[in-house]
Amino acid sequence: MNGSVILETKGLTKAFGGLVALDKVDLSIETSKITAVIGPNGAGKTTLFNLITGVYPVSGGEIYFQGALLNKVPPHKRASLGIVRTFQHVYLFGNMTVLENVMSGQHPRSSYGFLEAALSLPKARREEEAISLNAIKYLNLVGLGTYAEHDALSLPLGQQKLLAIARALATEPRLILLDEPGAGLNTLEKRQLSDLIRSIKEMEITVLLVEHDMPLVMGIAEWVIVLDSGQKIAEGTAAQIQKNPKVIAAYLGEEVE
Amino acid sequence: MIARLKSNWSYLAIATLFAFLILAPFDWFLGQYTTLMIVIGIYTIVTVGLCLLMGYTGQVSLGQAAFFGMGAYISAILSTTYGFNPWLAMLVAAVATGAFAYIIGYPIFRLKGNYLAMATLGLGLIMWIVFKQLNQFFGEPDGISGIPYLSIGGFVFNTSFRRYFLVWFFCLAVLLISQNIVRSRTGRALRAIHGSEAAAESIGINVDQFKVKILVLSAVYASLAGSLFAHHLRYVGAQPFDFMASVKLVVMAVIGGLASVWGAIFGAGATHVLSDELLLRFGDWDVIIYGLILVLVMIFMPEGLFVRLKDILERLRLRYRRRGVEP
Amino acid sequence: MASEQFVQYLISGITSGSIYALVGLGFTIIYAVTKIINFAQGEFVMLGGLVSFTLIYRAGIPLVPALILAILIAAAVGAAMYLLAIRPPKKASVVSLIIITIGVAMFVRGIAGQVLTKEFIRLPSFSGEKSISFLGASIDPQALWIIGTMVMVTIILHLFLTYTMVGKALKACAINPVASSLVGINPKTMALIAFVLAAAIGGIGGVVFAPLTLMSYQGGVMLGLKGFVAAAIGGFKSPVAAVIGGLLLGIIESFAVAANWGPFTSAYKDAIALVVLLLILLIRSGKLAEEERAG
Repeated sequence: MNGSVILETKGLTKAFGGLVALDKVDLSIETSKITAVIGPNGAGKTTLFNLITGVYPVSGGEIYFQGALLNKVPPHKRASLGIVRTFQHVYLFGNMTVLENVMSGQHPRSSYGFLEAALSLPKARREEEAISLNAIKYLNLVGLGTYAEHDALSLPLGQQKLLAIARALATEPRLILLDEPGAGLNTLEKRQLSDLIRSIKEMEITVLLVEHDMPLVMGIAEWVIVLDSGQKIAEGTAAQIQKNPKVIAAYLGEEVE
Repeated sequence: MIARLKSNWSYLAIATLFAFLILAPFDWFLGQYTTLMIVIGIYTIVTVGLCLLMGYTGQVSLGQAAFFGMGAYISAILSTTYGFNPWLAMLVAAVATGAFAYIIGYPIFRLKGNYLAMATLGLGLIMWIVFKQLNQFFGEPDGISGIPYLSIGGFVFNTSFRRYFLVWFFCLAVLLISQNIVRSRTGRALRAIHGSEAAAESIGINVDQFKVKILVLSAVYASLAGSLFAHHLRYVGAQPFDFMASVKLVVMAVIGGLASVWGAIFGAGATHVLSDELLLRFGDWDVIIYGLILVLVMIFMPEGLFVRLKDILERLRLRYRRRGVEP
Repeated sequence: MASEQFVQYLISGITSGSIYALVGLGFTIIYAVTKIINFAQGEFVMLGGLVSFTLIYRAGIPLVPALILAILIAAAVGAAMYLLAIRPPKKASVVSLIIITIGVAMFVRGIAGQVLTKEFIRLPSFSGEKSISFLGASIDPQALWIIGTMVMVTIILHLFLTYTMVGKALKACAINPVASSLVGINPKTMALIAFVLAAAIGGIGGVVFAPLTLMSYQGGVMLGLKGFVAAAIGGFKSPVAAVIGGLLLGIIESFAVAANWGPFTSAYKDAIALVVLLLILLIRSGKLAEEERAG
């Protein structure tokens, strides 16, 4: 394995009362690679995301981002550090237009505050210009440029998911966590998604995704980590994982979805 | 100093509003309603704050009259019993009210939805009881009187004509500031919080801090309005700051369109005129009709009367645009 | 404090607490099934008292039928409220619904004032005026009616929720509306039943309370607030907890006034409920904070 490690977890554990969702998981996510986390339902994938983004506090173990300890960093500060995520249920800002959603993503990369905003000072105006331009850039990147002034919720699901990704990209992250980006998409949309993910990689952003769609995962992932019942049971290339007996057993053991 | 607006029509609308407001207090125009418009201007200031808090950020306050009253009472007490300069008293009131909002902000916003509503309701009621106590302490049993007029140098705001311009000066300043905030990164952050707190947090917005900040801002606005109120009536009692007052403020915000800054003028004006008119025309039936109107408006026009009107105008405008006729 | 005084204050507290408990039950039922806080809850109590008064003294209807009719009317108002004001708005926000219930409360209060009476009214005591002696304290017999009614209502409600089909459906709807609708329980019907039930219970409260104290068309506001506090103590989930909450509030009020602590003179008795409310909310807020920290 070449390249440096952007995210590392050591003995990462999360317990909800008596239920252990993640059990001493050690991970090493390489920079600029596309890594997928897969596993049967209840394996702890979303919990992992929530720990990395700070939504849940850690029960045990450490998370290191670019070498620095992440555990105590409040969730809203992680975006400016370079970690951003998308949500399974999208969570767009329904009270804004498509463009405004992406502009919101520029929040951690801008700095003018209440006072400058209230008085519409030059600093505010300058930053607004930059925010607008950047937002349009990201919107075009995901192919939604023509929908800029539409209400965010007027888009069909597939495009809403793209919008959510554009919003996340606008935070200019180092690491982007995609939570089931393919859910609810048709075949064409999934292909567009794969292309988009590859362009994200080309922007030197590390991609970590949770996904249930195996063909999608196997098509783009350069590295696959398999979780089951809160533990890491295997990792390797897509080809290696598909042949791994432990992985097959884990999936066969679960109920039909 | 003013952030760019949506279209040239908006500039025209605001210019018209300005012209109307400037000409209004003259006798040959609407002079007889000057006092009414002073009160509307004062309520507009409070309403804008409430719109920012409820409409844009998606929170709830059923006790906004508490901040309104705090401004009034602090101004009243400091300028009568302690002989403060009224402007200084106003400033102190605003700072104190803002600080109070800051202190209760963090614990209060842990509550959501109905519980938040009840907490603000309870606070409003408690402050009202405090105000009644203050009446006994600092003034005659029912209120504090003898509050001086505001003045700048020798120029005293002792006529409605003068106070009208004073109040609307502040009101327009508040409106412009709020307009700027709404169209900025801050405004987007507030709307993001309303849209999805989880997503807002994930893109770097400090949700708790923003909520408290906007509460403080709304409290400062309300306090400012309260001080102006005190120096207008020269008397404060507890009654204008009771639970129904908080309800009326919410109604003003709702009718004006929760997510509309300029709509606040309409909301405050319509609601105030309505409740006064109803009282005049229908005597005791005013409460009945008021309740009925509340229910009907909330059922059929929850986004606010003003916003609905704006929508209709917007649709007309687009229709003309499509026909190739530039408006 | 002498023991007779203690008993006196205790009984007095339990009596008013019983009314708060009944109002609190109404809040809890509606909230559990619909997640709505019904600001008009206190008005149902007021209606119970005022409507029965009007029926007895203006329509000449004898006591018992008048009481029953009053309760039915209160229930009907509850149904009307749901069907006309709560069901129609689609996707109403918390704020909208709160304003709607406030609007209904104002409307009902105003109509009661105009149509029924503006004056303070009082119903005749159910079993005479002679005080009963109990552990050295003298108790108004109506107080026993009140406490007894509260206990009966609570028991019957519990039986209803646990053993009847409709009751169980209500409970299911409260616990999991989505799952219940999947098994054929119509949430709208359940909501209607919840409103009718809450209104009837409120009406019952008004009917037993009116003989003990003077009521007016404005009386619903404070009763509503205190009933709300009772329900809040119970976390809005459990009828029994609401009852306990109501009794607690009544007792605290009674003893606070008795002790004559500082601002808690009888004039500020009402403030006690508010303080309790804020304490509860503070505790809840604190608990939520702890949960966040502990994860």
